[in-house]
Amino acid sequence: MTLPRQLTSTKALIGFTLVFGILLIAIFAPLVIPADYATRMDMRARLAPPSMAHWFGTDQLGRDLFYRVLLGARTSIVIATSAVLMSIVIGLPLGLVSGFFGGRLDNVLMRIVDTLLAFPALLFALTISAILGPSFANTILAIGIAFTPFLARIIRGEAMRVAQLPYVEAARSAGASNFRLIVWHVLPNIMPPVIVQCTISLAFAILAEAGLSFLGLGTQPPEASWGLMIQASRDYLDRAPWTALVPGGAVALSVLGLNMLGDALRDALDPRSK
Amino acid sequence: MIDTAVAEASQPVVAVEGLRVEFDTDDGVVVGVKDVSFRVAPGETVCVVGESGSGKSVTSLSLMRLVEFGGGRITEGRLLLTRPDDTVLDLVEADTGVMQNIRGNEIGMIFQEPMTSLNPVFTIERQLTDGLRVHRGLDAAAARKRAVELMQEVRIPEPEKRLSQYPHELSGGMRQRVMIAMAMACRPRLLIADEPTTALDVTIQAEILALIDRLKTENGMAVLFITHDMAVVAQMADRVVVMFRGDIVEQGPVEEIFAAPKEEYTRALLAAVPRLGDMRGKAAPEPLRIPGAAEVAIKPAKTLPAESGPLLEVRNLVTQFPIRGGIFQRHVANVHAVENVSFTLARGETMALVGESGCGKSTCGRSILRLIEPTSGEVKLEGRDLSELDDAALRAARRNMQMVFQDPFASLNPFMRLKAQVAEPLTNFGLARGAKADELIAELFERVELPLEFMRRFPHELSGGQRQRVAIARALAVNPKLIVADEAVSALDVSVQAQVLNLMMSLQEERGLSYLFISHDMAVVERVSHRVGVMYLGRLVELGSRAQVFENPQHDYTQKLMSAVPIADPRRRNKGDGRPFRPLPSPIHPVGYKPPPGEFVEVEPGHFVLKLDD
Amino acid sequence: MSYILRRLVSMAVTLFFITIITFGLTNILPGDVALMIMGTNASDVALEQMRQSLGLNDPLILQYGRWILGMLSGDWGVSLVFKQEIGPLLLQKITASALIVVMSMTIALSLAIPLGVWAAVYRNRWQDTASSTTALIGVSLPDFFWGIMLILLFSRGLGWLPSSGFVSPQEDFFGAIRHAFLPSLALGLGLMAHLTRMTRATMTGILNQEFIRVARAKGLGERVVIWRYALANAIGPVITVAGLQVGYLFGSIIVVESLFNYTGMGWLTYQALLNRDIPLIQATLFVIAAFVMLANLVVDLLYPIFDPRIRLT
Repeated sequence: MTLPRQLTSTKALIGFTLVFGILLIAIFAPLVIPADYATRMDMRARLAPPSMAHWFGTDQLGRDLFYRVLLGARTSIVIATSAVLMSIVIGLPLGLVSGFFGGRLDNVLMRIVDTLLAFPALLFALTISAILGPSFANTILAIGIAFTPFLARIIRGEAMRVAQLPYVEAARSAGASNFRLIVWHVLPNIMPPVIVQCTISLAFAILAEAGLSFLGLGTQPPEASWGLMIQASRDYLDRAPWTALVPGGAVALSVLGLNMLGDALRDALDPRSK
Repeated sequence: MIDTAVAEASQPVVAVEGLRVEFDTDDGVVVGVKDVSFRVAPGETVCVVGESGSGKSVTSLSLMRLVEFGGGRITEGRLLLTRPDDTVLDLVEADTGVMQNIRGNEIGMIFQEPMTSLNPVFTIERQLTDGLRVHRGLDAAAARKRAVELMQEVRIPEPEKRLSQYPHELSGGMRQRVMIAMAMACRPRLLIADEPTTALDVTIQAEILALIDRLKTENGMAVLFITHDMAVVAQMADRVVVMFRGDIVEQGPVEEIFAAPKEEYTRALLAAVPRLGDMRGKAAPEPLRIPGAAEVAIKPAKTLPAESGPLLEVRNLVTQFPIRGGIFQRHVANVHAVENVSFTLARGETMALVGESGCGKSTCGRSILRLIEPTSGEVKLEGRDLSELDDAALRAARRNMQMVFQDPFASLNPFMRLKAQVAEPLTNFGLARGAKADELIAELFERVELPLEFMRRFPHELSGGQRQRVAIARALAVNPKLIVADEAVSALDVSVQAQVLNLMMSLQEERGLSYLFISHDMAVVERVSHRVGVMYLGRLVELGSRAQVFENPQHDYTQKLMSAVPIADPRRRNKGDGRPFRPLPSPIHPVGYKPPPGEFVEVEPGHFVLKLDD
Repeated sequence: MSYILRRLVSMAVTLFFITIITFGLTNILPGDVALMIMGTNASDVALEQMRQSLGLNDPLILQYGRWILGMLSGDWGVSLVFKQEIGPLLLQKITASALIVVMSMTIALSLAIPLGVWAAVYRNRWQDTASSTTALIGVSLPDFFWGIMLILLFSRGLGWLPSSGFVSPQEDFFGAIRHAFLPSLALGLGLMAHLTRMTRATMTGILNQEFIRVARAKGLGERVVIWRYALANAIGPVITVAGLQVGYLFGSIIVVESLFNYTGMGWLTYQALLNRDIPLIQATLFVIAAFVMLANLVVDLLYPIFDPRIRLT
């Protein structure tokens, strides 16, 4: 089956390359780079600008930014992916059931979801993190919980739309049980928009992790994370702007890649919006 | 009809010569119009007719140079327009400023979809007057006055009130009249009408066609009328241009085209169109003749076996939908979608439910299958009352009644292979598994005349007609006794429609299937039905055999319906109906409203007419 | 009218649920309030007395009721960190944040709509690519990154604008704007990028609709068709999305205000969370959620102005 044109456009290719590249780095960097490269402190070359010795420069403790940013990829990607996965695991069944059956159940569930949606996601994540105590695992939990209401609502909307299409009615009159209808007819047909939403949520999750770590309520030292690196750079902005630009750029590239991929996927689904 | 000899002699308003239009698509250059030439004289109606993909719309859009906005390019040809000062201008060469001057001024255009053709956030006044102000330089007060005049010309009631209304507050027919008023505002010399009545009910269509005809005569306008409906062509045309895949197949005066078509395509097109009145004197439904297709021996359907009782009995069926309003969302009113409908359907018989949009025929079909829960009434299939069944029993009962839907695109799951979709009822009802099921499915595909390799395909790889055949195969899989066909052929091209109808009729003959055939197309209904029920505002107003209802309609509404249907024969035109536009009464009533029961009067054996005492 | 009443009732119910969630969240927080107030040197007896006086040993329902009643009567408690009454503290900080939110919204909308329309009109040509790519990059950069860049550029580099602190508009209007400008820009740029994409998508959809073709067929000029006919239909959805983004803004505001040391609601909330200042956390969470709901309500009420098809029944 040939790929639709939208998936081979420049935007899609760049997006895919970026995402794939960052994924490779996240998986292989920690295996290839010895762990101490990122924590080794070269006190003579503190806050050094990019050079042949240190490609991206060094931070205030003399640590090489190049290796730190590569190793930080794993943290950010793992947290973001786990968080979105968690939201899906909770939100998908909820949204499917709510959208398919409608009625009283839907009213109650959506009322709860709407209440939760009144809290900005980042704030929600911050609060949960503060409650549980910031750590790697708790950051995943916080972001995952914070993103669930939004995802659930979108899934519910899609499920509701598909459940009213003629082919679902046709399958019902062909004797299909509700279970069969949900799993075989509704679910496959909501997957495309859900996948698009997932890529976008992944992008937001990376931003959220960076934000949380920046505020001290995300990953904690000695873990290397992009948000932590940006936070550490705050006091040295005038002297060594690269200490902020390197991790910031890393976040930006990952998010950019995901957004481009998400866009291309969305265009492939609905070319009229191109 | 006008004297075509005279028309040809006078200077045409527009002359298309050798037009060629190309589109740049992802799959390369597509030629929408290959080589088209024709002319339209003042006071003459030229109908361009063809199926989808024929290039008829592209031709009309090219005249307005609107085709460029949709990615098209005019690569060859001339579009000669005679201007009010008698000079001739080639529109292909005209620049933007000149074209803007001509559009809405010397050439007016009306489109197909009244729902989406008006700007939803602007008032009617604004939309009627901005063209006037641009072309005629009128000020607000003068434009307003003119707008009211225009609305009166197109017979819109209460024109002053309409000025401050928004499009969604008007009905489809009224919106189309507003569009016509907009197009007529500057007294154009040419009116282009692109499928203007395709989306309208048959009675409204008759009104709009009469309106266009009248405006043409009063103003000596030239009319270019695009349509796919041969019956409308017979009604409106002085001359006909038949198009197929971007080329003109044939053109000529309307009587010639209908009486003695020269080209095979034209003949095939005419043969595939069911003609109202053709079934007069025939006892039973008859397949359509499609030249070139496999020889279908025209045999009348078997005489119906008078078996053990009717297959389907519907008694006093009522379906209402609640409307909630007010601060507590209380149940304030009901939509009386189906009101007290009763009829019986025998085995091997086709009963049609006809009516216009909103009459409740679709809801009725769904209520019978309990896809929508009826409010009250009895539905007995082979003696068992369906309304008393619980979920499990209902699912089992569905083995005997299946449905084919209108939209061939939406009635198949895009993510499931066709084989799996046809197999689904077999699996659900535990009728066959594995090799046996495969065999059955292959048989079904063959029966609906689809190649076996389609089984592995997905819906988007098939055309509309092919998808509908798959839907029929799926419905047949469980060997039901009743199939409800809800506008099953309405979305198909005429030639494809004929094939699918013939298939349905042969299946009926072979398996003794009964059909509940829901449709708004009277000519098709006349072709395929044994018995007919006419619905209006949720009620069955007339019920009888096809011959009785079509040849001897008794109820007011049925008569109005019959007289409004265009007949595909230019010698039998409906007289222009000067009757003023009447809005459709609403089926919404407050809670507790008891509709008058009415009684059925049997005017002939088996022919019932509703009489209400109001 | 009944629609408004119904929405207000609905809002009240949701606010009620919000208070429950807020209360629930904050009471899971580990930490002894009495300990925080009195310090680690206080004796156990004194601590117990403090707990009694604060009512911390009472059943949760009672504590909850007390809190609600307190809020309704204007007593929002005392902040553990700031040692002030929360009510006036909130008021002050809300004004500060409101300033940024309004400014960033204004910046975003006034740039996004023209850019988005431009991109839609020149769809798939260089103007569209330029505009869309910029917008794409804009949504991909985190807000604090924008903030850092702006600080580097305007503050450290050019020295035009201050990079931290807050001045109350009542005292010094222009000073307030100067201090609020960079934070607003940081927030607004990301928002603008998002709204540009939204506008472009909406306009593209509208330009494909039949009534646009009808307008052209009437002989109306292209500029009228786009900037009157089409845009009039796009404003509604775009304003709606913008309104719903207020929620998102209140999340980002925490990070941006901290970056700029701009003492508004976001900064306040952050301090509260960091220091486990339970009364303050409760108050700020509640206020922010309430604001978001209010923004949603306003958007819903405004919509009929843009789209006469929607009638508030």
